[in-house]
Amino acid sequence: MAETGRLTRTPVAAPLVSPVTLLRIAIILALLAAWEFLAHSGWLYRDVVPSLMSIGHALAELLMSADYYFHLSVTAAEIGMALSIGGALGLTVGILLGANRFLSKAFESYLYYLGPTPKIIFFPIMIMWFGVGPESKIALGTLSCFFPVALNVAAGMRQIDKVLIRVGESFRANSWQMVVKIYLPAMRHPIINGIRLGLGVALIGTLLAETKLSNKGIGFLIIQAYSIFDMPRMYAMLIVLFVLAIGANALVGRFGGLHDIKRL
Amino acid sequence: MAAQNTSLDDAILVADDIGVRFETAEGPVIAVDDVSFKVKPGEFLSVIGPSGCGKSTLFNVIGGLLSHHQGVVSVAGETINGPHKSIGMVFQEESTFPWRTVVDNVAFPLELIGMPKAKRIERARHFIALVGLDGFENRYPGELSGGMRQRVSLARTLASEPKILLMDEPFAALDEQTRLLLGDKVLQIQQQLKQTTLLITHNITEAVQMSDRILVMTYRPGKVKRIVDIDLPRPRTSEVVTSEPFGRYVAKIWADLREEASRGMRDEEKHALQHHGAAS
Amino acid sequence: MSATTTPARRASPGDYLPPVVGIGSLVVFFLLVELLIQLGAVNRFIVPPPSEVLGSFGRVIVEEDILQRFLLTLTECLTAGVMLTVFGVSGGVLMHRFKLLQQACETWVAAMASAPIVLMYPLFLVIFGRNAWTIIMMGFVAALPPVILKTIEGIAGTRKVLVNVGRSFNLTPTQQFWKILFPAALPTIFVGVRLGLIFALINIVGVEFLINFGGLGQLINELAERYDLAGTYAAICFVILVSILFFMVLEKAERWLRPVD
Repeated sequence: MAETGRLTRTPVAAPLVSPVTLLRIAIILALLAAWEFLAHSGWLYRDVVPSLMSIGHALAELLMSADYYFHLSVTAAEIGMALSIGGALGLTVGILLGANRFLSKAFESYLYYLGPTPKIIFFPIMIMWFGVGPESKIALGTLSCFFPVALNVAAGMRQIDKVLIRVGESFRANSWQMVVKIYLPAMRHPIINGIRLGLGVALIGTLLAETKLSNKGIGFLIIQAYSIFDMPRMYAMLIVLFVLAIGANALVGRFGGLHDIKRL
Repeated sequence: MAAQNTSLDDAILVADDIGVRFETAEGPVIAVDDVSFKVKPGEFLSVIGPSGCGKSTLFNVIGGLLSHHQGVVSVAGETINGPHKSIGMVFQEESTFPWRTVVDNVAFPLELIGMPKAKRIERARHFIALVGLDGFENRYPGELSGGMRQRVSLARTLASEPKILLMDEPFAALDEQTRLLLGDKVLQIQQQLKQTTLLITHNITEAVQMSDRILVMTYRPGKVKRIVDIDLPRPRTSEVVTSEPFGRYVAKIWADLREEASRGMRDEEKHALQHHGAAS
Repeated sequence: MSATTTPARRASPGDYLPPVVGIGSLVVFFLLVELLIQLGAVNRFIVPPPSEVLGSFGRVIVEEDILQRFLLTLTECLTAGVMLTVFGVSGGVLMHRFKLLQQACETWVAAMASAPIVLMYPLFLVIFGRNAWTIIMMGFVAALPPVILKTIEGIAGTRKVLVNVGRSFNLTPTQQFWKILFPAALPTIFVGVRLGLIFALINIVGVEFLINFGGLGQLINELAERYDLAGTYAAICFVILVSILFFMVLEKAERWLRPVD
């Protein structure tokens, strides 16, 4: 009954700027103003909240230095390697666990419980095994991203609509065709989601390892800025890092959100 | 009609003494027992029975998706052993590929046999038009209604040009009007292609409307109770349901089915009682 | 048709086989590592023999105040957990209450959930100093987005018919919230708090390790810096076991608190 009130709502001509956008702008402006006020108040320990100007300056400086892009490429390459190795391992293990009930019952609970444990504490071991160079960071990123990919793929494999498999069989698809044309596309959402989660933790694992012990990469730059107490530069680097991470995540999500969401 | 004059010896599909049993916690259950029948080329045969009579099991046996059964199914004299290329299956459940457009869904079986892209798209378009979905070629199943999606499945199976079209309650998930209209479509296509069809259903109207013969099955274990010849003129449409002989066929089959369905119901009640008795 | 599904079966000996194989292969794996090290095929100064790691468990527990460290980490974690519950849930409720706010900020919160927040730990170190608050705040902030998001999801996901039941009884908005929306959202909110606590633990142990301060995480760092190989391995195993236990307890608690639905 109360519903009818909603149905009779007439469309209102949209204002030039929607209230949501206005509110967003207002919140951002308020935050920036509060920030600037804090920066100039002198209440806080020096430079903990640097002025917006100095952060902007540091940001511009950062984005224009070739050195930064070198470190960025080092970190990106490490994360890329970690995601490729960890993702491939996760996909393989996930498919095995998803396809075989026995293997799943025997081993999946180990993965399930090892998944949400801190991975950075394995870093000392990774250093012993792979040295202090990029290899140990890649190893930690790989370790981080393996679990979400494997668990998502295993669960996704079990959730495949059985009738689609029967369709493939009824048209006499061979094993290769079954995998490429039925299993993988049917699992695309869990796979993409696993990769999205895997990317997130690989990024964290790699960067944290860099902050702990390294001589190149974004994590190294952040900890270097910390050690010389260059706060504007640290803020600038965190801002760029967050933008890149959120962007990469959205990109993977967009990539996986095909046209058939309604059915899932 | 032509089909009825030919003798059963040139049957295209022969099911001989089919039996299936499943192991369950309460011991073995005989789902299908001693089912034999023949389908002539161009004929429309329906298998009807109450739920639990093993219809879908029979569907899987004929489709070659179930291997542990007794008896033999042969197509044009060739014993089947796994899914046969001459049999095209349409499933009861939603079975379009959500990640493929309509045309790519329909082209799927052609893709599997390695037909060149241009050619298979052309073939697919032909069958899409046949089921009346022209204009929707590039839509995704998620954008279509349930009835339209089921027509995509039908077109996909027809595109593999099977000698025998095997359908398992293809309209079960649809509403009554859609079901009747879709039945018209299937009848029209079947008559146009002279498509040999085996329809599994629990809907009497649907069965009588479309079939040349109806095989009535018993409740568990599923056996052949009776085979009824439907002597209604062709071409038929859904309007046939208002005719007087139609009503007589329906009444006749319902008399058979009622016995089986109520036996099934009693059995299920007994089952539920036992289970709850054990639980409380 | 129903014959194809097998209803709940009684446990048969076959059911015990997979877990036995699982544990068995784990044992075999460790024995193999032990053997390879004893044979000299694997450098024992890179991978200590499992027997040695097992042996140093007792030493690490007794000599390194592991109970106290455990309690410290747990306290940090629970403090962060309380803050998460208070601020995360009320933040979610607030955003649900003021639709405009939700429309404006929900995507921001979701974006933050995918940002590497824990990388801000050097910043927190500057703001809060090298003390437990850096660790707690890091755990809190890094785990906040999922709690807010799950709270919103829970309230917004209340079944329409329940909302209409409330309306039909002419409930005031406050009553509607406390009697209908909040109880209906509780299971999802529990999921959010559980996720938040897990993230908090992961980040807290991680930050302890990274800044070399606090409880269990610091222990690993310390043993590694002392080149106590077997001790490092044992401490890592211990922390992993504690995290798994924490995770299991939270799962049990959530199942216990969740009303039957």
